[in-house]
Amino acid sequence: MTRRTLLRWAAALAATWPLSSLKVLAYTRRQAVELTPGHTATLQAIAEVVLPTSLTKDEQHAVVTQFVTWVANYREGAEMGHGYGATRVRHTGPSPAATYPEQLAALEAAARAHGAVSLGALSVTARRAVVEAALTTPRPVTQLPARPSGANVIADFMGMFFNGPEGYNLAYRAAINREDCRGLDGSEQVPAPWPPRVGDR
Amino acid sequence: MAVHECDVCIIGGGITAAMVAEKLAALRPSLSIIVVEAGKSLFDDDNRFEYRQRSLEYGENQWPGDFVADQAADGIISRTMAVGGSALHWGGVCNRFSEEDTRLKSLYGVGVDWPITWTDLEAHYCEAERRIGVSGEPGPLKEDARSEPYPMPPMPMTFNLVQLKAWAEKSGTPFWTTPQAKNTVNGYGGRSICLRCNTCEVCPTGARYSPDWTFKELLAARKIQLHDRTLVRRLELDERSTRVAVARAVRQDDSARQDEYRARTFVVASGYTWSPHLLLLSANSRFPTGLANRSDHVGRYMTGHLAYQTTIDADMKIYPGMNEQHSLISRRFFRCATDVPYVRHDLRIWESGGGRAPRLRAADGSLLLGDALLDDWRSRTARGTARVRGYFDVHPDRDSRLTLNPASTNRWGDPLPVVRHKIDAASEARQARTRTHFEQLFATLAKANDGRMGSVSGLAYQDHPAGGCRMGRNPTTSVVDSHGRTHDHENLFVVGAPTMPTGGCTNGTLTFVALALRSATAIAG
Repeated sequence: MTRRTLLRWAAALAATWPLSSLKVLAYTRRQAVELTPGHTATLQAIAEVVLPTSLTKDEQHAVVTQFVTWVANYREGAEMGHGYGATRVRHTGPSPAATYPEQLAALEAAARAHGAVSLGALSVTARRAVVEAALTTPRPVTQLPARPSGANVIADFMGMFFNGPEGYNLAYRAAINREDCRGLDGSEQVPAPWPPRVGDR
Repeated sequence: MAVHECDVCIIGGGITAAMVAEKLAALRPSLSIIVVEAGKSLFDDDNRFEYRQRSLEYGENQWPGDFVADQAADGIISRTMAVGGSALHWGGVCNRFSEEDTRLKSLYGVGVDWPITWTDLEAHYCEAERRIGVSGEPGPLKEDARSEPYPMPPMPMTFNLVQLKAWAEKSGTPFWTTPQAKNTVNGYGGRSICLRCNTCEVCPTGARYSPDWTFKELLAARKIQLHDRTLVRRLELDERSTRVAVARAVRQDDSARQDEYRARTFVVASGYTWSPHLLLLSANSRFPTGLANRSDHVGRYMTGHLAYQTTIDADMKIYPGMNEQHSLISRRFFRCATDVPYVRHDLRIWESGGGRAPRLRAADGSLLLGDALLDDWRSRTARGTARVRGYFDVHPDRDSRLTLNPASTNRWGDPLPVVRHKIDAASEARQARTRTHFEQLFATLAKANDGRMGSVSGLAYQDHPAGGCRMGRNPTTSVVDSHGRTHDHENLFVVGAPTMPTGGCTNGTLTFVALALRSATAIAG
């Protein structure tokens, strides 16, 4: 995300709030790629809006931890898979997370503009409005990335969960566990039901 | 300069090199064998789970360091250059060709006949299946009769494949499971049973065969020497004969070092690109267009096969990810009646999650978050998707070529290869009719089950490439005989993929191996 894009995005976020919040956002600077406990708290606040309600708080927290761990373990310049028949060797680029601190700060600023001390302190309804604005302006995000790209931290976070094995298990209500080594026995059977849980829909 | 002397010098470290080395060591235990491979040995099995995980999470290379940065061809070719070759990455599919592939000219008046009988080739298929460990079930067609059972029982169908088979066979075409070089029996070849990890490109358990296993066993038993990170740049002839006397090589990690290999027999097992490339690089005053190239056929008739594919949405429950590499096959179309337009192909079906991924926006563009996203997703999981593909037979033109590109060189100044496939005029003339055939076939599959067919797309390149040193009886129209011995140099062999005159209409690796094993018998003498 370029600085100009970020400012347009932040401006759109704050469109319904006092102009002073825009000034706060305008002074947000790019930080080193390091997600702090504060960022984790913002992600937790996002999780409560974008993840299924059937996930418990602990499960939501685990999804956030997985995302933060992914960021921490990202390696720039690593060889990428070139596979059978591919002609080009590519390398991973800069961490997608380089843009996250600014984006997360913008979300917190938007919450403050709404009169809350933090995104997590907003009601779920108000938080959802902030999240929707961040996914809609300056340009609508249309897809969940297969892997985090840095373009939008909320879409990246959602993509990691929903495109991951837990997301598929939940959607299909079945323990597909596609990234596990599951053995051959019983593979011709319908996968076991995904463990029922309180609130599962 | 380091001088290495041996009985047999095998140049290349992929699957055909592994098979030739293993068979030679068994047939002639007294032979001294040196395998020379340009890339690294990746024998760090203990790291495979970590590599797999990094690949899943970050898209990182499952086989780190499996290439040589400045040893790349222009054209469609795998970059893998390491001990094990492309078969480090392969999916393990072990389809056989059919008798028709060896008699195209006689039966249909297209392509060329191979200088080998089906009975002979079939026996070597059996040997290949035993050596690499293939699990499979015999097909129902009498034309696919086997002289030996598969070494291991078939990979069990997943629930998805059970649904897909029932669905697909309503069209009247029989399907069965694809044979694979994956253990369905624990301990076959000293390797684990398949644990259905769904990442066959890097099998963390060793259940899927890859040649590094064979090389490690041969090294442990001291049956071969393996010189990795060593690039053979030239083959040189004996001054008084046409025998190859020396292979000159350089070390990738020490550009000042020159290595010389002297052997009674040289075996070029470097795959379809690097085998003709080495022969062309080895031109000298007596063979100014390259070794083994009096016929001017080295680097010609580069072959492979093309494909059409589609997806079909049908009324069946599919759980994406149960074992995505496993598939169904029908060999019904390997045969073509002689009184209808020629088209031969395989037909494969896989589970697919296509069109059923989670989506952030509904059809009207509104955002989907949390439960709304999940509800939308679940509403689209009631039906399932089949991915359907057929590789079809095309034949190479004489000008389907590998040539040297002086404008692109490696660090030693050697020109690198350019590969440009070109199908022959008869194959070109069949293109429109072939597409219509597939459109009708896919539509029949879909209609039989109230399915909805997606768009039909063709493959933009020739898959499972081969050729460049084709075999034949006539030295003026081929490079090697049916055993891979070059017509021009009695102690120089080329084995595997490069020797194939045509690329068949299904995965080629088992055929590359079968032909290489047949060559090994001749090399052993």
